[in-house]
Amino acid sequence: MDKKKVLFFDAGPVISLVMSRLHWLLPLLKKKFGGRFYITPGVKTELVDRPLSIHRFAFEALQVQKLISEGVLEVYPKVPWNKVHQLFLLANHSFFIHDKDIDVLQEGEMESIACARETKAAGMVMDERTLRLFIENPSSLGHLLEHRFQATVTTNTKNVQGFSQQLQGIPIIRSVELVSLAYQMGLLDDYIPPQKNGREILLDAVLWTVKTSGCAVTEEEVEDLKGLLLKKKTLKE
Amino acid sequence: MKEEVKKEILDGLKQARGIMERMDPAEFEELKKLSDHTIEEVAAQKDLDLIAVTVLLYSFYKVASTIKEADRKALIKELNGAIYSMENRQLGQYNSRIRNMFKLVKQSHSKVKEHLQDVMQAARIKKGTVLLEKGLSIGQAAGLMGLSNWDLQEYAGKSVSIHNHEELVEVKHRLKTAENIFNLKHG
Repeated sequence: MDKKKVLFFDAGPVISLVMSRLHWLLPLLKKKFGGRFYITPGVKTELVDRPLSIHRFAFEALQVQKLISEGVLEVYPKVPWNKVHQLFLLANHSFFIHDKDIDVLQEGEMESIACARETKAAGMVMDERTLRLFIENPSSLGHLLEHRFQATVTTNTKNVQGFSQQLQGIPIIRSVELVSLAYQMGLLDDYIPPQKNGREILLDAVLWTVKTSGCAVTEEEVEDLKGLLLKKKTLKE
Repeated sequence: MKEEVKKEILDGLKQARGIMERMDPAEFEELKKLSDHTIEEVAAQKDLDLIAVTVLLYSFYKVASTIKEADRKALIKELNGAIYSMENRQLGQYNSRIRNMFKLVKQSHSKVKEHLQDVMQAARIKKGTVLLEKGLSIGQAAGLMGLSNWDLQEYAGKSVSIHNHEELVEVKHRLKTAENIFNLKHG
C-alpha cells in the first residue's frame, strides 16, 4: 500500500469537526491529500451506530454516516486484532498505583493506531490526549497520572517502551491541524469578516471552536498556532 | 466545589424548602422559576452538581401539587439534611440526601421519570469527566461510565483542567507534519 495515500482517523477528530460544524472541510481536505481517509469498524461504531441511539447526537451520527456513504471516510476492514490486543495489554500494564495497574486506554482505541502501523499510513489523526501522550511522551503521562491521582505511580519501563517504540514512527496530527491546513488552503476565506484584523478573528473563532469541541489542544498552542498561521500566506494569496 | 456553585445550590435548596413547607399553590410556579434561574448558572459554571439540583427543583415543581403529605414531610427532612451537609462540606452525605430526594420524587409522580433519566446521565458524565481529569482516555472513561465518546468529548472540550497538559511536540512541528502529509507548501 502506498504510504502517502492513507490517513487513519480516530473517533475524536471526527467528533470535533462535526461538533464544530466544520466536517464539510473533510472532502476538500481529502481531495488535496489525494489518498484515502480511513476509520476502523470500532471507530465507526462510536461515530455512527452508538450515537444513533442517543437523541442528543443522532443527527451528528447521520452527518458522519453521510461522509461514509459519500466515500469521504471509508471503513478499513483488515484490523490486525492480535496487534490491537498486544498493544492494549502493554498500555494497560504500564502504570501502577499501589501495585494495581491503571487501565488508561480502551481496546477499541488501539484499532486505528494498529491499522496505521500495519499499513505504514502517512499519518494518524487523533485528538485524544492520553493515547497521544503515551506514544509521544510516556514519561509525561506518568507524571500526569501521578499528579492527578495524587499518589506515587510506578512505571513498567519495559512495557512503556514496548508500546511507544512500536508506534513512534507514525506522524500524529489533530483536528486543529486539519483546520489550520484548511485555513492555509483558503477554504475558510468566505468567513473572514470585513475588517482590518479579519483573519485573526476568523482564526480565533475556528481554532477555539475545535478546542471547545474536544480537540486536546492547550490554550497556549491555540495562540501559537494563530501566530504561525497569521504569518503564513494562504494558497489564494 | 467552587464557592459560587455552593452558594447557588444552597440558595436554590433553601428557597425550595420554604415553598415546600408553606405549600401555597400560588408559589409552585416559583419552583420552576428557581430551576430556570439555576440553569443559567449551569450554563456559566458547567457544574454537574448544579445540573442535578436544577433537575431536582424542576421535579419538585412537577410533583408539588400532587405530593402526598408523608412524602412532603420526608422531602423537607431530606432538604434540611442536604442543606446542612452542604453548609458543612459533607459532600458524601449531601449526595446521599440528593439521591433520597430523587427517590421520593420518583415515588410521588411517575411523570418525572424522564428527568430522573437526565439526572442519571448527568451523574455518569460527572464521574466520566473526573476520570478524564485523572488521565484516562476518553474511550476508557466513557466505556467505564456507560457513555458514548460524544457525551464526554463535549464536556472535555469545555473543561480547563482536562486539557491543561504538557505537549512534547511543539505546535509548529505538528503543523509542519500536517503540511507534509498533505503536501502543502510551507508559506
